[in-house]
Amino acid sequence: MLEFISKYGLIALLLALPVYYGIQDLSDDGNLTRLGDNLVDGLSNGAIWALVALGYTLVYGIIELINFAHGEIFMLGAFTSFAMWGALGLTESTGAGGLIVGLLVSLVVAMFVSASINVMIERVAYRPLRSAPKLAPLITAVGFSFILQNVGILWYGASQRAVPDLIESQRELFNIAGISISRGDVLAIAATIPLVLLLTAFIGGSRLGKAMRATAQDPEAARLMGINVDTTISLTFLLGGLLAGAAGLINTLYQTSVWFFQGFTAGLIAFTAAVMGGIGNLRGAVLGGFIIGCIQQISDNRIGNEWTPAVIFAYLVLIMTFRPQGLIGEETREAG
Amino acid sequence: MTALRGLRKARWAKYVLPVTAVVAAALLPFFRPPLDGFLDDCILALIFVAMALGLNLIVGFAGLLDLGYVAFYAFGATAVGWWASNHFGGFNGDGLHIGVSSFTESQPGIHVNFLLLLIGAILICALAGAIIGLPTLRLRGDYIAIVTLAFGEIVGRFMQNGDEVTVFNDYALSNGRESIAPVDQIDLPFLDQFDSALNLRPYYWTMLGIVLVVLFVNLRVRDSRLGRAWVALREDEVAAASMGVPLVKTKLTAYAVGGAIGGLAGCFYGAYLGSVNANQFQFGFSILILAMVILGGLGSIWGVVLGAIALTFVNYRLIPDVLDQGAVNDLKNDLGLSFTFSEVAFGIFGFVLVLMMVMRPQGLLPERRRQIELTEGTEESVFEARI
Amino acid sequence: MRVRWLAVLTCLLGAFAFGVAACGSDDDDEGDGGSGATVSGDTLTIYSSLPLQGTSKGQSEAVISGERLALEQAGGKVGKYKINYVSLDDSTAQNPGTADEAQTAQNARKAVQDKTTIFYLGEFNSGGTKVSLPILNKANIPQISPSNTAVGLTTDEPGADTKAGEPDIYYPAQKRTYARVVPKDTIQGAALATIMKEDGCKSVHIFNDKTTYGAGLARNVEAAAKSIGLTVEGNDGTDKTSANYRSLAAQIKADCFVGSGVTGENYVQVFKDVAAACPDCKLYGPDGVAEAAFTDPKEGGIPADVAARTKVTVATLSPEEFEKQGIAKASQFFKDYEAKYGVKQPDPYAIYGYETMSLALDTLKAVGDKANDREAVRVQLLENTKGRDSVLGKYDIDEFGDTTLTDYGLYTIDNGQLTFDKVIKAQGS
Repeated sequence: MLEFISKYGLIALLLALPVYYGIQDLSDDGNLTRLGDNLVDGLSNGAIWALVALGYTLVYGIIELINFAHGEIFMLGAFTSFAMWGALGLTESTGAGGLIVGLLVSLVVAMFVSASINVMIERVAYRPLRSAPKLAPLITAVGFSFILQNVGILWYGASQRAVPDLIESQRELFNIAGISISRGDVLAIAATIPLVLLLTAFIGGSRLGKAMRATAQDPEAARLMGINVDTTISLTFLLGGLLAGAAGLINTLYQTSVWFFQGFTAGLIAFTAAVMGGIGNLRGAVLGGFIIGCIQQISDNRIGNEWTPAVIFAYLVLIMTFRPQGLIGEETREAG
Repeated sequence: MTALRGLRKARWAKYVLPVTAVVAAALLPFFRPPLDGFLDDCILALIFVAMALGLNLIVGFAGLLDLGYVAFYAFGATAVGWWASNHFGGFNGDGLHIGVSSFTESQPGIHVNFLLLLIGAILICALAGAIIGLPTLRLRGDYIAIVTLAFGEIVGRFMQNGDEVTVFNDYALSNGRESIAPVDQIDLPFLDQFDSALNLRPYYWTMLGIVLVVLFVNLRVRDSRLGRAWVALREDEVAAASMGVPLVKTKLTAYAVGGAIGGLAGCFYGAYLGSVNANQFQFGFSILILAMVILGGLGSIWGVVLGAIALTFVNYRLIPDVLDQGAVNDLKNDLGLSFTFSEVAFGIFGFVLVLMMVMRPQGLLPERRRQIELTEGTEESVFEARI
Repeated sequence: MRVRWLAVLTCLLGAFAFGVAACGSDDDDEGDGGSGATVSGDTLTIYSSLPLQGTSKGQSEAVISGERLALEQAGGKVGKYKINYVSLDDSTAQNPGTADEAQTAQNARKAVQDKTTIFYLGEFNSGGTKVSLPILNKANIPQISPSNTAVGLTTDEPGADTKAGEPDIYYPAQKRTYARVVPKDTIQGAALATIMKEDGCKSVHIFNDKTTYGAGLARNVEAAAKSIGLTVEGNDGTDKTSANYRSLAAQIKADCFVGSGVTGENYVQVFKDVAAACPDCKLYGPDGVAEAAFTDPKEGGIPADVAARTKVTVATLSPEEFEKQGIAKASQFFKDYEAKYGVKQPDPYAIYGYETMSLALDTLKAVGDKANDREAVRVQLLENTKGRDSVLGKYDIDEFGDTTLTDYGLYTIDNGQLTFDKVIKAQGS
């Protein structure tokens, strides 16, 4: 019963904002177009957060570390993509065929760069600290976060940088009942869903995926069963890095800008998304990403852009207070 | 290190080192010009020592990972912004003045003596600490970190957007990113008003005094009933509860005391900077303080002092003033490198963090209890030690 | 245990009390930078304090180039005094692109501690000057800013926070020590409103970056727009860490938009998202975005289609316009600047840097042998700078430290570069 209340109470809490503004829209304009626009923008933004959140949740699930450097991995993915466009000569005037090939190449390179840096960081900064006090790796994570931000500064400078709008991100593709859906929206969602499905299939079905789940549950038992725990952890970082790299490219296409600090902000949001969904839970992270995306856009549009982070974190506090295990997480020792 | 450890064994020697250090610290300003940049850095170091000691109570002693410590800096500094500036101009006609110097008395708004400010900051932050603590009571470990992080961000946001929030008929909550500036110079009873434009020494000694009080509180609390209750809580919450440690009260006092110390330091920091700008209330600040605590050695008072001093000097002296000048710079130019070190300050700071943690994960001067755990391997770990 | 602790504590407090007591006695003989100080020796130092890290780097470097050029032309000295020029950075790695409070205070104190200091040129950001001005004022060091526009720094006119005691709060020595060579925001606000009206706008929506500069200017634009009959639909704050501003921009119903912010506060993204959300809006930017990082897509600025709809106001005029107005000195400056740095169209702030230094040097020259007397220099700067024939045209510095120049230049963006369009004669200012 209590479980029922806490779960559905939480869902009611999450729905409060959209429902309130939905009713307001209906009474003001007589339709839901404005809310619909907010939600479409929210879902597409949320898709990107979801990809980043998956990296957090994977790593947390297996070594219980808040990987602060993960946001920067995402940032490097974005920077690599932008650099690749320059190298491949992609501009607004590139034809469709060239664009698709070029973007695929950039995607592969960005994913590769992000993943290898993520694995490298694990090897250098986290693995030597497995038996150290629990907070030690947290600080090395912060340290790497700073180092990578600095790499970003040296790479493209300290200010936000607009990049060529290759896909005309904000051009309307089609229109449903007055709600405009742009190319960027379609791209973000269409690219995220297969990636998430692939990941879930891999973790649920493959041998390596099983090893990951076993290690997450009980590393010692996993080792006794002959699972190479170190390799499994490296694999987790590899997967997280691949997703972050992909998110970096999608984000660059969608937002049409890059900034050295984008990873830090995105990391905070994505981490919140992972916690909201139930940290360690893949579906939860994706759901959390979408929800946060929607809250963000609704808040930007109605409450004010400068208040948005406060709104998100207020939601987070409420969720933590009433349902610490998140939307679909199980009871864990930490949350108990 | 071994020499130091040897010294520690002798009972009397336990006090020699701290007392010598404090006397040396108190005399230091006489060897520097009154507006010296080095003295400036030392004041910053002292502020961070107090901050880190406050956070150490929460994270090190009670084991509650707080990632939103910046909230207490924000509240402490806001106390200065509210009660020692012209922010509430028009209040009470010509303003309200309690124990301040003549120039300040001529200004509108609320202006109170620094001692009252400190008390105000302590009260606000103790209360805020307890409130922030409430939702975390049911939680453990990283989940506490997340809630405190969220609170830190919310407080920071409120300060940044405080110019849009109206309080007490028609006054803004804060001045947001436009900063409340200038705020009053410190006024202490029986002394002339300080003047950071002419002489930094009084500021230095005041902060040193605050640090000594904070140190005293830390040392006394650590060995008290309350301190032992915190440690018990940290080690095993269930066992502690069944032995009769009141969980709610013990946890909330940890937040309240740690918060009050953060407020104390934040209050001084605001007054010292001469402006209260909500720009500074960001997550990075919490992380910086946490890094000082962990680097020094969680729960170890002297370690934390050392960690705070070390990181402040890396951040404010080594990178801008040492590396970019003199021999290091010449070497760099000889190698044909064109960047300046301040461009890579962030990276150097991160690199120092990583290096120090990998080489000494238990911190510079680990707490003795933890040290025993680490060396005797009582900590459960499935991974072999690779240090 | 307790007894021993008391002993230790007494010892510490003793040391502390000794220290505090001692400080009372010796601040007379050492840290004296108080009024009436004369600089000994034949070297005078001029400090410059600007953000050299982050987005403002380009503008700051333009200011410094201008200042160096002026100093070089004066032969590095005034009368019998040799001028020592020191450039300080008021930003930090943690807080790039703008004045960091702690660093700014440290810079100001550095100038106060230096007994040869005769001028302090800065800060770039009004928020920074709020910190450095009270410190320098106490030491009676004359200060000139090349770029501050916040109203409350000098006067209590609309836009200043008079309730909080602006501007007197910045002058604890109760005399003025600060001057600036750019017109204050009241003028720029009026200029923006005027040009919007001329362009046929009926209503305007403003975004501001919430900094001292952006929020202050936004208030001035709002007031000026209302006073000449434009409807102000909204004035919203933006958060620079936001990934995009699509939903915020979606609420714009007005036909004109003013982005009152600086490039470093993510204003490229703001302009892009507003342009997309409001395809027919006319876009206006203030001098905070008058830099290549905003105008040039190659430097990460707004794309050409957005740039075509954007107009920017800056207090500088073009070389041609200066020539048209018969300001020979300006033409000479552009020639000299090109000869020294090889830049034909310098950043708009280069000429302000040049004028800041020229004003400082001419003030020193005017007091002759008393150029080592801060008080004499201060009086000369604030009371006797009248009808000054400068690269910016003829102007006075009024008793509050403001320039009497009011011309604003309107720029369009062509091929990634700011291109001078016309002079705005502001209404209602």
